[in-house]
Amino acid sequence: MKKNQVKIWVGCGIFCIAAVLLSVWHAVTFNDSRLVAPMDFGSYSFNVKDLPMLLSISLTCVYVLALLIQLFISIGKSKRNAAKTNMTRKVNPKLGFLGLLGLLGFAGFWSYPVRGDITPFVFFLFFGFFGFFYEGKLSGTFMDERFRENTARAQLNTYKITFSITLIALVILCQGRLFGSLEYTLIATIIVLSLTLALGIFLPEYLLYRYDHDGQTEEGGE
Amino acid sequence: MAEFTCRLKKYRQLKNLTQEQLAAQVGVRRETIMRLEKAQYNPSLKLAIDISRAVEAPIEELFVFD
Repeated sequence: MKKNQVKIWVGCGIFCIAAVLLSVWHAVTFNDSRLVAPMDFGSYSFNVKDLPMLLSISLTCVYVLALLIQLFISIGKSKRNAAKTNMTRKVNPKLGFLGLLGLLGFAGFWSYPVRGDITPFVFFLFFGFFGFFYEGKLSGTFMDERFRENTARAQLNTYKITFSITLIALVILCQGRLFGSLEYTLIATIIVLSLTLALGIFLPEYLLYRYDHDGQTEEGGE
Repeated sequence: MAEFTCRLKKYRQLKNLTQEQLAAQVGVRRETIMRLEKAQYNPSLKLAIDISRAVEAPIEELFVFD
């Protein structure tokens, strides 16, 4: 994506956030916090004063949808480019820091006892983004036959490892006696599956980097 | 991987080619040529033929399987 396009997207995002904040302020000040405070939507009836809130939320939804579509288009474009030029896609290794988002998964240990919500455990999946560190190091690499073989080998070994972990964990957990409670067992299952999927995202990149660079220190060019 | 001896380095030097030049000729990375010379990588038939044409040596001379 060009810099100008990025600026437009960021500008639209800031506009949407500002619109939501303004409409929330409007609703709290002039509209008895309607659509801000929890309310029964079953008996909702339209009021002209709701308009700013409805418009800003609709605008934000459209923005998020457009952003997602743009993301898919960009991914498709970079894949087509990679196939055309035989080079790996350009990725900044710093994107690997997105893996820290996986720490959000620990929020589940707070949200489950307080609200009975187990969704945050799924965020452990984001640990997989640490793989960007290695993908970034290999970005812009010419994909010759050895590279493609290594990619396939890394993917295959990842499948073997993650399926083995999943199978072993499920066999142990499905006994249902590990924590003395079926509920805790299911939570543990979600955690294990999320972490295994994260490993499935991270490991191919790491293994590919290792296969590509193993023994590189003793190699000398001529 | 099948064990073999690779004589590519000898024939490449006879043709006064660097690893980089040979890699560019046969469409692979320099690292792949390095691995080939150390017999750490078993090439595809197409790559073996391309290399044998580039260094003008028969395949069976370049890659000797025990």
